[in-house]
Amino acid sequence: MDELELLKKDWKKDDKVYPKLSYNEIYNMILSKSSSIVKWIFIISILEFVFWVFISFGLKASGFNLELDGMERNFGFIAISIFSYAVLAYFFYKFYTNYKTINSTDNAKTLMENILKTRRTVKQYVFFNLVVLIIGVTYMMPYAIKSDEDSRALLEIAQANGELFKYYASIALVTLIGLVIAISVLLLFYWLIYGILLKRLNRNYFELKKLED
Amino acid sequence: MNKALEHSFVELLEKHQNIVHKVCRLYTNNQDAHNDLFQEITIQLWKAYPKFRGDAKFSTWMYRVGLNTAITLYRKSKRSIKTEEFENVQFKIKSEPYDDTEEQQLKLLYKAVHQLNDIEKALVFLYLEDKNYSEISETLGITEVNARVKMNRVKKKLRTILNP
Repeated sequence: MDELELLKKDWKKDDKVYPKLSYNEIYNMILSKSSSIVKWIFIISILEFVFWVFISFGLKASGFNLELDGMERNFGFIAISIFSYAVLAYFFYKFYTNYKTINSTDNAKTLMENILKTRRTVKQYVFFNLVVLIIGVTYMMPYAIKSDEDSRALLEIAQANGELFKYYASIALVTLIGLVIAISVLLLFYWLIYGILLKRLNRNYFELKKLED
Repeated sequence: MNKALEHSFVELLEKHQNIVHKVCRLYTNNQDAHNDLFQEITIQLWKAYPKFRGDAKFSTWMYRVGLNTAITLYRKSKRSIKTEEFENVQFKIKSEPYDDTEEQQLKLLYKAVHQLNDIEKALVFLYLEDKNYSEISETLGITEVNARVKMNRVKKKLRTILNP
């Protein structure tokens, strides 16, 4: 006999031997809280949005503190602010609409795709912020040097000693190391959180996708 | 959600709870993990229930939500660690004459099914529940041809596990 046929025979026979949960036991279950990956993805995604909003606020606040030329400061930072809020609103709207399409009654492949799509939106937002962070830091660095008294003093000393290139190179190196560390920490966070959370989903999605290829 | 909805849902689930137990049986390997998954499936069913229109059978609708929870939504509990000793004994209450060979074969079969991956288990589950390939393909989101191909591969894989 086919192995699965033998199993099917037993599978059906077992109908009466499962534990029988009472009405009250089931009722208590519907009052308890879900621990599904969708809930965790939602919480982590919101935290990511909040995190990057704080980071961009921080950057903007430090930008405003710089003693920059008035017109340039106002126009540049107001434009950046409007742009970043528009981007945030766009990504958040996209995230929310994607999140709303997650439906446990869809077929398995569609459900997985919708979850991954929701994640992708947050990833794009984080990627966008990383690019803005890199550009922002690079752009603000000369102003920061000019506005900081200690840096200005060091710059003058370097200028007097003819070590201007060395001075700028060391600033660039320190900035680069700082960015690499910050991005590495983020990537590690991603690798840990999503590696654990989405490992199974990715594996199963790949398994279904493989069939269709 | 109103009380009448809660009542109708709990009553229906109480009646059809074996479907959930069966999903848990394939996807977990100890009683604690079984209970955890049962609870998560119940929550997901309840969350989806207001959209259940009754145009599908409640049981058919349960298969889909149950499997989706087991394959995708459920975060495996720490308690569902692999145990090689697992022999699926918790549900075995035989009422028929004891057949050592068949009993032994079934033990090995259940053990082999537990070694399959999540998607393969879903195929086996739907097959054991007498679902046709059209229903299997609709539940998993693959074509009917691919469901057949995959099912044949699963059968082969089981044979290989049983006769290495």
